[in-house]
Amino acid sequence: MIQKSSLLYFSILFLFPFFLLSQVTSNIDIISKRLQKKAIEYQSETNFVKSQYFFLKKDWDSTLIYTTKQLSTNANREIADYCHFFRARIFHNKNLYKEAKEELFLISKAFEFSTLTTINLGSAFLGLSDFKTAIVYYKKALQSPDIKNQPYSFAKIHEGLGTCYLFLEEYDKAEEYLLINLHSNKNDQVHLYDAYNSLANLYYEQDKNAKALYFFEKAYFLSKEIKDVQIKNLASFNLAVYEENRGDYKKALIYRKEAEQWNDSLNNQNKIWSVADFEKKFAVAQKQKEIKVLEVENQLKNTQRNWLFFSAIILLVLLTAGIYLYAQKVKNSKTILLQKNKLDELNATKDQLFSIVSHDLRSSVHALKTSNSKLSATLETKNYDELNQLIIQNSGIANGAYSLLDNLLHWAMLQTKQLYFHKESVHLYSIVQQIEYNYKPLLFDKSINFENSVAKNCFIFVDLDSLKIVLRNLLDNAIKFSNENGKISFYTSENNSDFCQLILEDNGIGMNQNTVDELLQENELLAKKNNSEIIGTGLGMQLCKQMIKKNGGTINIESQANKGTKVILLLPKTASNG
Amino acid sequence: MDNINILIIEDTPEQSDALIKVLLENNYTVVGVARNFTDALKLFYANTIDIIIIDVFLDGKPDGITFAESINIIPNASKPFVFLTSSQDRQIFERAKLTKPFSFLMKPFNELEILYAIEMAVEKFYEQTNVFLTEEQDTVISNDFLFIKKKNSLKKVALQDILYIEVEERYCNIITEKEKFVILISLTKISALLDPAKFIRTHRNTIVNTDKIEEIILADNLIILQGNHKINLSDTYKDFIKKMNILS
Repeated sequence: MIQKSSLLYFSILFLFPFFLLSQVTSNIDIISKRLQKKAIEYQSETNFVKSQYFFLKKDWDSTLIYTTKQLSTNANREIADYCHFFRARIFHNKNLYKEAKEELFLISKAFEFSTLTTINLGSAFLGLSDFKTAIVYYKKALQSPDIKNQPYSFAKIHEGLGTCYLFLEEYDKAEEYLLINLHSNKNDQVHLYDAYNSLANLYYEQDKNAKALYFFEKAYFLSKEIKDVQIKNLASFNLAVYEENRGDYKKALIYRKEAEQWNDSLNNQNKIWSVADFEKKFAVAQKQKEIKVLEVENQLKNTQRNWLFFSAIILLVLLTAGIYLYAQKVKNSKTILLQKNKLDELNATKDQLFSIVSHDLRSSVHALKTSNSKLSATLETKNYDELNQLIIQNSGIANGAYSLLDNLLHWAMLQTKQLYFHKESVHLYSIVQQIEYNYKPLLFDKSINFENSVAKNCFIFVDLDSLKIVLRNLLDNAIKFSNENGKISFYTSENNSDFCQLILEDNGIGMNQNTVDELLQENELLAKKNNSEIIGTGLGMQLCKQMIKKNGGTINIESQANKGTKVILLLPKTASNG
Repeated sequence: MDNINILIIEDTPEQSDALIKVLLENNYTVVGVARNFTDALKLFYANTIDIIIIDVFLDGKPDGITFAESINIIPNASKPFVFLTSSQDRQIFERAKLTKPFSFLMKPFNELEILYAIEMAVEKFYEQTNVFLTEEQDTVISNDFLFIKKKNSLKKVALQDILYIEVEERYCNIITEKEKFVILISLTKISALLDPAKFIRTHRNTIVNTDKIEEIILADNLIILQGNHKINLSDTYKDFIKKMNILS
C-alpha cells in the first residue's frame, strides 16, 4: 500500500506541470492572436508590448520584470488584467500556487478570458491541495456558456475535477469526470496520455488492476509516439511499478530499465538544460556588465557634458566681463582724452593770459620809466605845470597796472579756491559810492558825468570784496570805453522780490552783438584781443562772471555799437527779517 | 553829543597816519595808536574806547587777531572791531571770524570804506543791522550809549545824560541837560531797546529817565525832572509809580 501511494504521489506530482503546460500550448493560438491585436492597440505602452512578447516567447523572468514595470505605472484595466494573467501563468508554471492564486484574484471580472481565469484558479487550489475549493472553481468554469466550444478547456476542467475527486477518494465521481475528460479531446496525444494516466491511477487506487493495466499500457504505447522524454520515462516507470506490485518482476525489470533509459536521457537533457541555463545566466551577467559599463559611460558623458556646459557659461561670463571692462576702458580713455584736450586748451589760454599780462605790465612799467626820465628832465627845467601833468599821468599808469595785478591776484585765488568768501548783508548804494570814490580822478579827467541813483533801501546778500571787484571792473571798463564828456550811471530797478537789479549804463563806444556773446560765453577764458589799444586781457570780465556766479547772481549785457552799453546785474537781496 | 573814541592798532606809521587823517576829518577821536600787542593792551585798559581798528598782521605775525581774541575772553570788555588786512589768506579770515562780531577792511581802502566799515562794526556788534544806511533809522542803542549817525560820522550820547525823550512819528527828540537834538527811530524800536526799568513811558509820546525825576505831582499830572523840565503824566501810564521806591 505504501508503494501504491508513492506511485500515485509520483504520478500526480508529474501530472500538474504537463497538464498546465499543455493547456497553455493548446490555448496559445487564441491567446497569442488576441495578444498581437492588443499589442498593436496599446503600442505606446512599451512595457506591456515587451511583456506580451516575452510571455509568448516563454521568457518568464523577463515577462515578470516588464509586467511589474507596467503595473507600477499602469492605469488601463485591460492591460492590468493581462499583466496579472501573465504573472499568474508564470507563477503557476513555477509551482508558486499561492502567488498565482493572488494574481488571479486581482484580475477583474470583465477580463475576456475569465473562463480561463476560473480554470486556472481551480488548478491553483488543486496545486495548494485545497481540493474542495478547486472543485468549486472548476464547476464554476463548467457553467460558462461557451465552454462547449473550447474542447481543450472543457477536457481540462474535467481532468481537474477528476483529479480532485481522486484525492478526495470519491472514486465514482473521479471516474465519471476522467472518462469525460478522456472522450472530450482525443486529438491531442499529450492530453490523451494524461487522461489514460489519470484513469490508470484511479483504477489502480481502487485496486481495479485489469482496468488499471489497460490504461497504463494504453498510456505506455501512446508515450512511444510522444517525443517528450519525461512522459516516456513516466509511462515506463508507472508500468514498472505496477508490474512490480503485481509480482511480475521480469516485466517490471524490463519497464524499469526502459524507464531508467528514458531517465538517463532526461537527465542528459536536464544537464543540457542546466548548461544552457548557466550559459544564459552567464550571458545575462555579461549583459549586466555591459549595462554597467554603459551606465558608467553615460555618467561619464553626463559629467563631461555638464563640465562643457559650465565651462561654456564661465567663458561667456568672462567674455562679457571682458567686453564690459574693455568698453569701460575705452570710455575712460575717451574721457581722459577729452579732459586732456580741455586741459591743453586751458593751459594754452593760461599761457596766452600770461603773455598778455606780462606784455601789459611791461608796457606799463616802460611807460613809467620813460615818464620818470621825462619827469626828472622836467624837474631840471622847473616847469611845474608839466610836472603836475606828468605826475597825474604816472599815477594813472600805476593805477592801471595795479588794477591789472589786483585782478590777476583775485583770479588766481579764485582758480585755486583760496579766496575767502563770506556773504553778508551789504548796502549797495554805499558800495557804489565807495567804488566811485577811487575813480573820481579818472572820471574828472575824462569829464564824465557820474550818477549814482541806486535805491538807498537796497540791501543785497553777497560777499563784499567780490562785489567790489565786480563793480570796480565794470566801472573801469565803462570809463575806458566812454568818450570825453560822457555819462555813466548806476541805478537799480525794482522788479523782483528776491533779486536786486543793478544796471550800469554808459553812452560810450559800445560793442556789437558778437563781442557781447563772446564776452558772455561760459568757457571762453579770454576775449580775443582785436584792438590792443582798448580791449584788455578779458581777465576782468571773466572775473566778474565768475564772482557774480559765485554770489548767486547773473550778468547780462545789452550794447549797441557807438551808442553805449548796459550791464545788468541780478544780485540776491537780503532776506528781510521784519 | 560826544565823539567816538577809536583805538588804532597798526604797526605801519604811514597806514596809521592815513587812517588818523580820515578819522579826524570825520570828527572821530583817536585815543591812541598801538604798534604792537602789549601797547595795544595797555592803551585799551587806560582809555575809554568805543571802537578798535586792528591790523591783522603786526610785524608779520597775526597778533591783531590774538589781541581781538584776548579782549573777547574778558567779560563785558569786548568792543566793535574793524580788521585791516591786505591778505586774503583764508586761514586768517577763518580765525578772525571766530572773534565775532567783526568787520573787514581790505587794504588799500579809501575814506568811504573806512567809515562804512566802522558803521558796520557798530551795527554788527550791537546786533542792530541795516540801521545807519537806511532812511528810517540813524541810531544804534547800546546799554550805555546812543550811537547816532551825523552826516558821514558817528556820534554818541550817554544814556545816563538823557532826561527824557519826546516821540514825534518817526523822530525822537532827545533832551539832555545840555542839549536837545533829533534822532530818527520809531517809538516801538526805541522802547524795545531801552532798559524798561530805567526808561518809562509817562505819556503817549514821552519816555522819561527815572533817574532824573525830582518830583511827581499827581494832582496836576506833572512830573518835574532835573533842570526843571515839566512833563505831563497821563492817567494810562500812572501805574509805574507803584513800582517806584517812595521814600517819604
